[in-house]
Amino acid sequence: MRYFAKSQQMYIYLQHPYTQFFMPYTIRVVLILLFLVLFQHSNAQTKRTVNGNVTDAKTGETLIGASVKLTGPVSAGGITNAYGFYSLNVTDGSYEVSVSFIGYRTILQKVELSKDIRLNFTLEEDNQLDEVVISATKKNENVSSPQMGLQKINVREINNVPVLLGERDVLKTLQLLPGIKSAGEGNSGFYVRGGSTDQNLILLDEAPVYNASHLLGFFSTFNSDAIKDVSVYKGGMPAQYGGRLASVLDIKMNDGNRKEFTAEGGIGLISSRLKVEGPIVKDKGSFMVSARRTYMDAFFKLSSDSSINSNTLYFYDVNAKANYQLDDKNTLYLSGYFGRDKLGLAETFGFNWGNATVTLRWNHLYSNKLFSNTSLIYSNYNYVIQNFMEENNFEVNSSIKDFNLKQDFEYGLSNDHQLKFGLNIIHHTIAPGKLTADARSSVNETTYENRKGLESAIYISDEWAVSERLNLVYGLRLSGFSLMGPGNFKTYDKDGNITQTRSYGSGDFVKNYLNLEPRFSASYQLDKSSSLKGAYTRNIQNIHLMSNSTSTSPTDLYIMNSNNVKPEIADQVAMGYFRNFNEDKYEFSAEIYYKKMQHQIEYRSGTDLRGNGNVEADLLYGDGRAYGIELFLKKRFGKFNGWIGYTYSRTERQFDAINEGKWFYAKQDRTHDLSLVGIYKAGPRWTFSSVFVYNTGNAVTYPSGKYQVNGRTAFYYKEKNGYRTPAYHRLDVAATLEGKPGKKLQSSWSFGIYNLYNRQNPFSIDFKDDPDDKTRTQVVRTTLFGIIPSVTWNFKF
Amino acid sequence: MNLKKYITAVVAIVALFCLGACEKVIDLKLDEAVPLIVIDGGISDQNEYHRVKVSQTYSFTEPNKFNGLTGAKVVLKIDGGAQEIVFREVAAGVYESPAKFKGKPGSSYELTVTYDGKTYQAVSVMPARVALDSLTFKTFNFFGNNKSYIVANFLDPAGISNQYRYILKVKGVVEEDAVSEDRFNDGNKVANVIFYELDDLVKGDSVLVEFQCIDRNVYRYFYSLGQNSGQGGPPVAPANPPTNFSNGALGIFNAYTSGKRTAVIK
Repeated sequence: MRYFAKSQQMYIYLQHPYTQFFMPYTIRVVLILLFLVLFQHSNAQTKRTVNGNVTDAKTGETLIGASVKLTGPVSAGGITNAYGFYSLNVTDGSYEVSVSFIGYRTILQKVELSKDIRLNFTLEEDNQLDEVVISATKKNENVSSPQMGLQKINVREINNVPVLLGERDVLKTLQLLPGIKSAGEGNSGFYVRGGSTDQNLILLDEAPVYNASHLLGFFSTFNSDAIKDVSVYKGGMPAQYGGRLASVLDIKMNDGNRKEFTAEGGIGLISSRLKVEGPIVKDKGSFMVSARRTYMDAFFKLSSDSSINSNTLYFYDVNAKANYQLDDKNTLYLSGYFGRDKLGLAETFGFNWGNATVTLRWNHLYSNKLFSNTSLIYSNYNYVIQNFMEENNFEVNSSIKDFNLKQDFEYGLSNDHQLKFGLNIIHHTIAPGKLTADARSSVNETTYENRKGLESAIYISDEWAVSERLNLVYGLRLSGFSLMGPGNFKTYDKDGNITQTRSYGSGDFVKNYLNLEPRFSASYQLDKSSSLKGAYTRNIQNIHLMSNSTSTSPTDLYIMNSNNVKPEIADQVAMGYFRNFNEDKYEFSAEIYYKKMQHQIEYRSGTDLRGNGNVEADLLYGDGRAYGIELFLKKRFGKFNGWIGYTYSRTERQFDAINEGKWFYAKQDRTHDLSLVGIYKAGPRWTFSSVFVYNTGNAVTYPSGKYQVNGRTAFYYKEKNGYRTPAYHRLDVAATLEGKPGKKLQSSWSFGIYNLYNRQNPFSIDFKDDPDDKTRTQVVRTTLFGIIPSVTWNFKF
Repeated sequence: MNLKKYITAVVAIVALFCLGACEKVIDLKLDEAVPLIVIDGGISDQNEYHRVKVSQTYSFTEPNKFNGLTGAKVVLKIDGGAQEIVFREVAAGVYESPAKFKGKPGSSYELTVTYDGKTYQAVSVMPARVALDSLTFKTFNFFGNNKSYIVANFLDPAGISNQYRYILKVKGVVEEDAVSEDRFNDGNKVANVIFYELDDLVKGDSVLVEFQCIDRNVYRYFYSLGQNSGQGGPPVAPANPPTNFSNGALGIFNAYTSGKRTAVIK
């Protein structure tokens, strides 16, 4: 109960004029709607429930997002959930069931209903269709669903899109969609609608992944062999998601083949991968293990020089999953991810970092209408730095560790109302750093205080088919955060001076925050193939990433809400027009959004984030705003398919202590962002593809003058982010040659050329004295990736 | 704790293996800004003429120069006005104390510069002196190449926070100007590598290292300046370093203790 002890603070918070403006109204609306729904249906007429699973006939993998439709005395339709489960309510009578999923043959079946029944379906893959790119959703789901701001990627799509060094990458393919921007050349980090990279909630089988990149951002931690489904929410997040401001990237791993053992893999220029899957008990349970490792450092080993061959530089990752169906009502899943980057410079230096996540899930059907999923999740990110120089040797250990309990329910109240509700409790432990050294070293052993926090949430939402045309999803999420002892907690004034230090014991609550997050979205179908949608979402973020470099680094520091740091808040309003053409062959959408952000974080200049126990003294707090329009046109089937994505946007920040308090462009501000993706299936064996991207350069700070300090050149910066890097553009091409069909060992070759016309896009632009003429200064552009060919051999048996 | 160096090295290696990385000098159009006053001054614990330089910013495209401002009024107050010294202009923009004197550790120095009707003030407290014991050499083997650096050796006093500045000069030219603090090695014998590559120097060349003890604000100024110039690290969003001057002047006023040693390349 101590959790709510500081209700006074919440009261004050609710009195904030901004809060008052938005919250009471939206919350009232949501609460009234929910109440009406629950009341109205307490004595609704008796109905029959039809439910079950939809799976792939060949592999037994559950299919996410398959459409199940009943036509008869009444009509009902639904989509399978993340576990391939659906549930529909209808009255007695005879019905025709149709089950469809793009890329699979549709099932039509007659069924007589006089009681609740369970109907499981297995769908056969349809290879006759010329659908190289297959959308995972039902044909016009994009139009009829009230969900907006959602982009889905089919993993098969990724296989044909050209990528850097031939390494398929979910996160990089994602960056080709409107509203999602790359954080830099070859970087797997991304910005969504004006958010920074740490404002994305990245979930792998529900486990939050803290540093989703390898090798300083060049590769993502997601091995596409192991991935089944990728959804990214840019706005209108459903109430079951929370904790980050800008987006939710929900990645689900393959369950494994329930029918037979298979293996597949690939050998590429810099890495190789292998996946093995098969049944544990046929049709009851299966497993999947997928691993990859890079071998850039194998080249070092070729050298006979010990100063070269003793260096290491590689990463590996392993995805593993097992599931077992106990009976019709109970299924268990266990999944894990383990990845690590290691680099070492001979006898001087070692550095390694990585994530580990474990998710244990239990799917249970309490009744025909109530589906439950319980998840226990462990997640750990840590890094170790070692310096072996004798007089300065040291080792730094830092980690962030989560224990996470999630309980989600889906309740089919009626055919018009699908309720989702649940709770989530996460216990965070952040160990900012432990410094150890041996007796010879000049470095003192130090341990920085761990920080513990409890993040909790309860939510409820309802998807309501108001009429044939109008669909609503509305819900509320109540999220709390408590900073907990033990430790010494400081409070700082505006200038960063300590005003108070208080000591707390283990289990004491230091500071509590409570926030309500209303979520609302609606779609109004204009006709069969077009709709208008609108959404309002509030998101809260309680855990923040501190990074003062312009690129992400494995050593970036996570901090929690505290006496000084308040939860970040974002309110987003979005509207959109969705339309399919030509029998759903083409998909078009236009979305506009406006987002207001509060309690954004920046640093004073000269902030040192390393081992800084007083880092909060150096933080500055301000506001943000972002708006834009996103256009998307996709050709979904046919020999030639692909998409065009265009975004016009603005992203700004305002801090009293920066830029004289004036609004400035955030570094992720890019006016224009264009991506073209084309895939052409030339025949049964050859597929060609191409990607073109263009975007306005990032907002950056360049000098507007210079001066001398101690005889050396220093630069004068007139304003923050007042300049632009040169525009970025690039063309990639790829070709895939499939092996002759019918063999036991199927193999394919992928050839790619990254940056075909060798555009010199800047990775960085530096200003410095000319080394040959110290009386002049010069501007030096560093380009990381010119034209780069790649080749990969893939196999499957 | 030179993590940045290593990260740069890693980026370089990754880039190397990706076969593409290249550097090129380019033309970039930069804005012209209204010139701003820059004050760069110091008081040391040595018996010498102390100097304050007053200049203003100029266009990026111009040759590097000291863009001195004449006619400024420069006044030094010691320990809250117990003593007041008016500096005289000895060259355009260069102001000097009229007599030699020694600054005292623990004393507070307040510099007031008046120029064009505006007054700029800064305070710096001279820290206790720490002696530079010796300079030694250190060689790293980096991918088969040997790189040599100078190491500053000293004993850090325990229990207080100290900040140090290293100015490395070769043939009278400042080649490296870096700072460190004792956050990780308080009270220990410290061997701090100065990251200036000596490999271009020949036998007999001498390297002069001035070792300063500086106050916290001065440390932060130079740390921030180092972040801007990258000092070999990953790019940090640059900003004007936090000055101790009021009223919008750029630059720093530094009361420091000074010790100098010379190393000869063998």
